Amino acid sequence: MALARVERLTFTYPGGERPAVRGLSLELHAGELVALLGPSGSGKSTLLRALAGLVPHFHGGRFEGVVEVGGRDTRRARPSELAGTVATVFQDPEDQIVMGRVENEVAFGLENVGTPPAQIWPRTCAALAAVGAGALAPRRTAELSGGELQRVCLASALALEPELLLLDEPTSQLDPEAADEFLAHVRASGAAVLLAEQRTARALALASRVLFLEDGELLLDAPHGEAVAWLAEHRPAYVPSPPAGNGRRTAPGEVVCRAEDVRFSYRRGAPVLDGVHLELRRGEIVVLEGPNGSGKTTLAKLAAGLLRPDAGRVERAVSAGYLSQDPGRYLVRERAVDEVALAVGDRERARAALELVGLRALAERHPRDLSSGERERLGLAAVAVAEPALLVLDEPTRGIDPDRKAEIARWLFAYAAGGRAALVATHDRSFPADRRVSL
Amino acid sequence: MRIAAPPAAALLGAAAATALLAERLAAVAALAAVLLALTLRAPQARRAPYLLGSLGSGLGVFLLSPFLATLGFHVLWAGPTVPVLGKLDVTEEELRTAALNGLRLTAVALAFTVYALLVDHDRLVAAAGFARRSALAVALATRLVPSLERDAGGLAEAVRGRGVGVEGVRGRARLVPPLVAGSLERAGNLAEAMEARGFGRAGRTRAPGAPLRTADRAALVAAVVLVVAGAMWL
Repeated sequence: MALARVERLTFTYPGGERPAVRGLSLELHAGELVALLGPSGSGKSTLLRALAGLVPHFHGGRFEGVVEVGGRDTRRARPSELAGTVATVFQDPEDQIVMGRVENEVAFGLENVGTPPAQIWPRTCAALAAVGAGALAPRRTAELSGGELQRVCLASALALEPELLLLDEPTSQLDPEAADEFLAHVRASGAAVLLAEQRTARALALASRVLFLEDGELLLDAPHGEAVAWLAEHRPAYVPSPPAGNGRRTAPGEVVCRAEDVRFSYRRGAPVLDGVHLELRRGEIVVLEGPNGSGKTTLAKLAAGLLRPDAGRVERAVSAGYLSQDPGRYLVRERAVDEVALAVGDRERARAALELVGLRALAERHPRDLSSGERERLGLAAVAVAEPALLVLDEPTRGIDPDRKAEIARWLFAYAAGGRAALVATHDRSFPADRRVSL
Repeated sequence: MRIAAPPAAALLGAAAATALLAERLAAVAALAAVLLALTLRAPQARRAPYLLGSLGSGLGVFLLSPFLATLGFHVLWAGPTVPVLGKLDVTEEELRTAALNGLRLTAVALAFTVYALLVDHDRLVAAAGFARRSALAVALATRLVPSLERDAGGLAEAVRGRGVGVEGVRGRARLVPPLVAGSLERAGNLAEAMEARGFGRAGRTRAPGAPLRTADRAALVAAVVLVVAGAMWL
């Protein structure tokens, strides 16, 4: 018997012009790990929310079809009643953490679902230990890094001992090693897992079955081998490719930014960077790599002139634009076109920039009505519209589907070919570059 | 010596009440000094804005209120007559009252500072019993203050990263609406995540807390004694 069953599910969000998912039918079985792939806005998150009961109970909207989890119809069972059978880890840990201390955070869900008090602390400790976060138990959640918080969120989900674990791009903020470790913990849990991911290599390496959604419709539901063959033929960008090496096309030009022997620390704490050198030249794309906490973002901000070094020198000969890794920072205006026009005061240039990132059709939409991947692209347009000679991008491909990522890379190469330089801080090892710098 | 969160909160509440009830300058000053010493145990970066607010507001009351009050006959300084305010002067009695009120305000603010920075709010939520939802709302609001600070800084930084200046009160004021909208969005996401984790379901249980120790009982007794002393003798 299936653990979860979705039958002819069609769902439209309140105020939505068309359904987010259409006619979906599928089953999930105990213990299987299923990868859920598809472009931004294809309905992946909606399917996950439907399985958690959040659609329609939390969001409202028009719901047709049947979703059953653990034999319970989600139209009748509220999400809180499904908790324990189902557990969800969302993309941004900051939006999930409730309590001030890690151990209390993990215990929160156990208390809610009525776990016998004598079992709460042992299960809390076991879940934290299972994700390698046992030492974090007494720490304040406000002091944890993004990667640590994401592990705490996973521990909170695993502590419930769910039969079905729903993961919505849970590794988007993690470096490759941390992401591998995170997913190893997921696989070891023994629960059925539905994993939505945009970094497909990792998901495909683990999954026994693959679902592919596009425009709200399920185009593919197949075992791993068959799915990879289908993807290679129909959606090649989703098939893992070897990490891009140095792809230098022409000799780089003059230096536009030079950092020498740079040291930097936040609030007089331990140095985040110490003795770091970096040189950026016209016409080249440099990728900045390194694990979480290695100082990529800090060096990117120093290069863009947003921070000043404690010691050493950062010299910049040209104007710089900086794209933050949080797309929520580009939601200042009421319409997407006005958001992009903020830096230049010219709507036509803003529309052209939106065209470059594939958002021209959404120019009049409110930025907060855009999906996470669309927000990322809006941020890129908002920074690039001023055409700075040095473009500094912090995790520009987070939450962006492989096709769009390839488009952004092509666009960035064209941008650099026009005599500009780009510095890209990213965990994405497949992002192409002329040069890669490791911290 | 560590005190559990509920007795610690009770003691701080009692300290704030005593500061308001007490009439002796020395007693209120001693209370403020003890609370200041406790505040200094918090990490420097976190305590700085609280200290600025607490000491600044107390000092403001001390400096301004003698000019606005009309109290006593022992004039220490006589100034000009100002329209609306009348004749400006400072008396010994006004100075004493200003010092007392300034110290009271400082003590209350410092008690809140110690509560915000050093008390484990999670344990208060756990101990709240029937008022758990309200306690959780307060704890969440406290937890989200650093997130709000980060969002405000990040928003300003992202705008500067686009080559747009964020200078002066007007420039920063422009960022308030998106900051509020972002906070509301975060609150919505958090509510969704909480419901997915079973919040609001019937039959919830409570993780066993540590039993009250001698220090906790002593703190509860001290809280009662402090309020009574403040009302009757201090």
